[in-house]
Amino acid sequence: MAAVRERNESAWLLPNDGSRTNHRLREDMRRFADSDLVDLVVVGCGAGGSTLLQRLARRGWQVVGLDAGPFWDPDADWVSDEAGSHHLYWTEPRVISGTDPVPMGSNNSGRGVGGSMVHYAGYTPRFHPSDFATWTNDGVGADWPISYRDLRPYYEDIEQELPVAGEDWPWGDPHSYPQRPHPVGGNGEIFLRGAYASGITAKVGPVAISNGRFGNRPHCIYRGFCLQGCKVNAKASPLITHIPDALAHGAEIRANSMVTGIGFDERTGRATGVHYIRGGVPRFQRAAVVAVAGYSIETPRLLLNSASRRFPDGMCNDFDQVGRYLMVQGAPQTAGRFAAEVRMYKSPPPEVSSEQFYETDPGKPYQRGFSIQTVSPLPITWAEHMAAQGHWGADLRRYMSDYVHWSCLGALCEFLAQPGNRVTLAEEKDRYGLPVANFSYSQCDNDKQLVRAAQDVMEQILHAAGADEVITIDRYAHLVGGARMASDERHGVVDGNCRSFAVPNLYITDGSVLPTQGAANPALTIMAVAARGAAHLTAGGR
Amino acid sequence: MSGPAEPGTAPRISDATGDRFPGFNVLDQVSHWDPVTAGLVLSRVGRPPDIRFFSPAEEAAATALCDRLLGQGGEPKVAVVPHIDARLTEQETDGWRYADMPEDRQAWRESLRFLDEDSRAACSREFARASAEDQRAVIQAVQDLGAKDWHGLCAAHVWSLWTRYACTAFYAHPSAWNEIGFPGPAYPRGYKNPGVDAREPYEVADARPSADPLDGKGR
Ligand SMILES: Cc1cc2nc3c(=O)[nH]c(=O)nc-3n(C[C@H](O)[C@H](O)[C@H](O)COP(=O)(O)OP(=O)(O)OC[C@H]3O[C@@H](n4cnc5c(N)ncnc54)[C@H](O)[C@@H]3O)c2cc1C
Ligand code: SF4
Repeated sequence: MAAVRERNESAWLLPNDGSRTNHRLREDMRRFADSDLVDLVVVGCGAGGSTLLQRLARRGWQVVGLDAGPFWDPDADWVSDEAGSHHLYWTEPRVISGTDPVPMGSNNSGRGVGGSMVHYAGYTPRFHPSDFATWTNDGVGADWPISYRDLRPYYEDIEQELPVAGEDWPWGDPHSYPQRPHPVGGNGEIFLRGAYASGITAKVGPVAISNGRFGNRPHCIYRGFCLQGCKVNAKASPLITHIPDALAHGAEIRANSMVTGIGFDERTGRATGVHYIRGGVPRFQRAAVVAVAGYSIETPRLLLNSASRRFPDGMCNDFDQVGRYLMVQGAPQTAGRFAAEVRMYKSPPPEVSSEQFYETDPGKPYQRGFSIQTVSPLPITWAEHMAAQGHWGADLRRYMSDYVHWSCLGALCEFLAQPGNRVTLAEEKDRYGLPVANFSYSQCDNDKQLVRAAQDVMEQILHAAGADEVITIDRYAHLVGGARMASDERHGVVDGNCRSFAVPNLYITDGSVLPTQGAANPALTIMAVAARGAAHLTAGGR
Repeated sequence: MSGPAEPGTAPRISDATGDRFPGFNVLDQVSHWDPVTAGLVLSRVGRPPDIRFFSPAEEAAATALCDRLLGQGGEPKVAVVPHIDARLTEQETDGWRYADMPEDRQAWRESLRFLDEDSRAACSREFARASAEDQRAVIQAVQDLGAKDWHGLCAAHVWSLWTRYACTAFYAHPSAWNEIGFPGPAYPRGYKNPGVDAREPYEVADARPSADPLDGKGR
C-alpha cells in the first residue's frame, strides 16, 4: 500500500473528517489561461481522461482537463435516491436507430469529473488474453495491435490504485487482488448457492470497492446505491482515485466546459488546442498535445464535428473509420423468485461473478462467450423491467410488492464488432448548435445466440438455488469502440499507443479505442490502456 | 413519526397489493438520512409541482393514463402527472429517443391526443371521461400492437415512453416504497444485516410471503 501512495496519493488527499471533498485542494488548484500553451489538454475527465491527467501531471507536464459536466461534491451533489440521480447521466439529446437500437442515458454514460465511473456498478475484471486476438483465434472481431502482456503491468498498477477486492481469480490470466473479497448479501448468496449446486464456478468480486479503509477512504456501508454515485467514497471513481493526485501535482480541472471542436493547423497538420464553451462563452485552450476522452459516443461525435479543409469528413476520418465498430454488450437480466426474502438492495449490486463461459467453446455453434454477475436493480429500474415484461396496472403493483423476494443476475455477452454499428451525425442540434449523435445498432446472429445461451445458464443457476419462477428481460450494457486502435490507418483511428494515425499530436484515451470488448466490464481496461498511453507520451511520444 | 424535520406522512396508497408490510413506514427513519437526500425525498410528499406543460385536456388524459398504468383507483394516491409535467417542462429526458419517435414533449402531447381519438371511436368520449374499463381496453389495444404502428408511431416505443415516465415518478415516492418493503435512502447508516431472510430492525417482514404474483395467488 505504501508503494501505491508513492505513485498516487489520491486516497490520502481526501478528508478524513467524515466529509468527502477536499475543497482546499480544489480552491488552490493551479489555473492556466486560454492563451497559455499547455503541454496537454484532455477532453473528458472520466476513466481514461483522468488516468492520463494524473500520470502526466506527476511527470511534470502542464495539463488541463476539460469536462462538460460539474466537478462533483458527493456530500452536496449526490443523493441516496434513484430518481434524484438523474443529473449524473449524460442526458443531452441523442438519437438511436438500427434494428436493435440501444437506449442511452442512465444505462450508458455519465458526465462530470469522474465520468461514467461515478455511477458505474464497480466491477473491475481484466480482459482475458484471448480478447486481444479474436480474429486470429476465432475468426471474429479484430486483433489488437497490443497484447495482454503489454497491458498486464498497467492492470496491476490500477488494481492497486482503485483498489480492487476479490477472491483469487482463476480465469483468463489467473491473478489475485490487493484486497480480500467483501462479505456478500442476499443476491450474492443466492448466486453462490445456485452456482455450487449446478457445478458452475463463481467467485466473489472483483469490485473496485474498498474492503477496509484505504487512505482516507472509508469502508463500504453496503447501502446498494453504487449506481447513484457513492456518497461514502468507498467505490472507486477517478474523482477520488486520480483527480486529487493530479491536482496536487499542478493539473487544472476545468469543469462545465463543453468542447465543441478540435483546433487544427492546416499548414503543420497538427492539433492546436480545443474550442470549448463555458458559461455560454466560446473559448479556445491552446495545447501542444490534445487527448480526447469523451467515451464512445461523444469522442466520435467530436471528431466528426471537427471537420476542416484537410479533413472534410471529420478529423482523423480519412478512411471512414470514425464512429465505426461501436459495441455494446448483450446484458440480459434473469431474475428468480424465492419464498425467502432476498432484499437485493442491501449490498453493492456488484458482488459475485463467473467467467466460466467467457471463452469460445468449440462444442457450441457460436464464437466467444459471456460472463455472469449479480446485478441488483433498485425499485425504479425494477419497475421498468416489470413494465418491459408487459405488466401494468394492478398487475404491475402486485409484481412490485413482491420485490423483496427476487434475486437478479445479469450476463455480459460479447457482441461482435461490426462496421455498421456506428455513430454518425444527426440532423438534430444540441443547445450549442452542434449536430447530435445518431447511434445505430444491429445485432448479428452470433450475438443473439450468446444471449440465449446466457439466459439458459442464469435460469439454471437460479433454479438450482431454489427459485420457483424465473423471468428474463433483454438489456444492453457498456459501450466501447467507435475510434478503435489498429495496426494501420485503414482499420482504425489510433495506434497501439492511442496516438491518432492522421494527426501526430492527437491522442484518444478512452473506451472508444477498444477493438473488442470480451465479456468483461470495461473500466479497468480503459484505465490501463490510458495509463499505457501516458507511459508512451512521457517516454517521448510528444 | 420521528425526526427533527417533522416530515409529512406517506399515506398507504389505495389498495392494489394488500398490505404486505404492515406498519412499515420509511419516513420513520428520516432522521437517519443525510440532509440533502432527506430534503429531496420529503419534497415528494409535499405539495406536487404546478402543472406547466400539459394543457388541461392533456393533463386529464395523462392522469387517467397514469392511474390505469399504475393501478391507482381511489384516494389516497401518489400524484405522478405533476412530476411528469415537471420533467417535460424542464426537458429532463432520459437522454435518448428512438429515431422513429418525436422528442419526448411532442411524443407525450401526440400520444395523449391519440388516446382521446381512440377513446372517442370506442365509446364516444374523451379518454379521461371514459370508464376505467374502457380506458383499460384502449390502453390494452396499444400494448397488443407490440412493434406495430399506432397513429404513425411505433406502439412499443410509445409504451416505453409512458411506462418509463410513470414508473419513475411512482416508485420515487415513499408511499410506493412502503408498499414494496423498500427502506429508501440508506446514507449514512448503511445496512448491517444483508443476506437471505435477514432484516434490519426497522425493516418489516412480508406478511404474505407466498403471494407470488406469477401463480396468481397474490390476486
Ligand atoms: C449504469 C452503468 C454501470 C456500469 N458498470 C460498470 C462496471 O461495473 N464496471 C465497468 O468496468 N464499467 C461499468 N460501466 C461502464 C464504465 O463506467 C465506462 O465504460 C467507463 O467509465 C468509460 O470510460 P471513458 O473514459 O471512456 O468515458 P467516461 O468515463 O464516460 O468519461 C467521459 C467524460 O467525458 C466528458 N465529455 C464527453 N464529451 C465531452 C465534450 N465534448 N467536452 C467536454 N467533456 C466531454 C463526459 O462528461 C465524461 O465525464 C458502467 C456504466 C454504466 C452507465
Ligand atoms: S454499497 Fe458501498 S460502494 Fe456502493 S454506494 Fe454504498 S457504500 Fe458505496
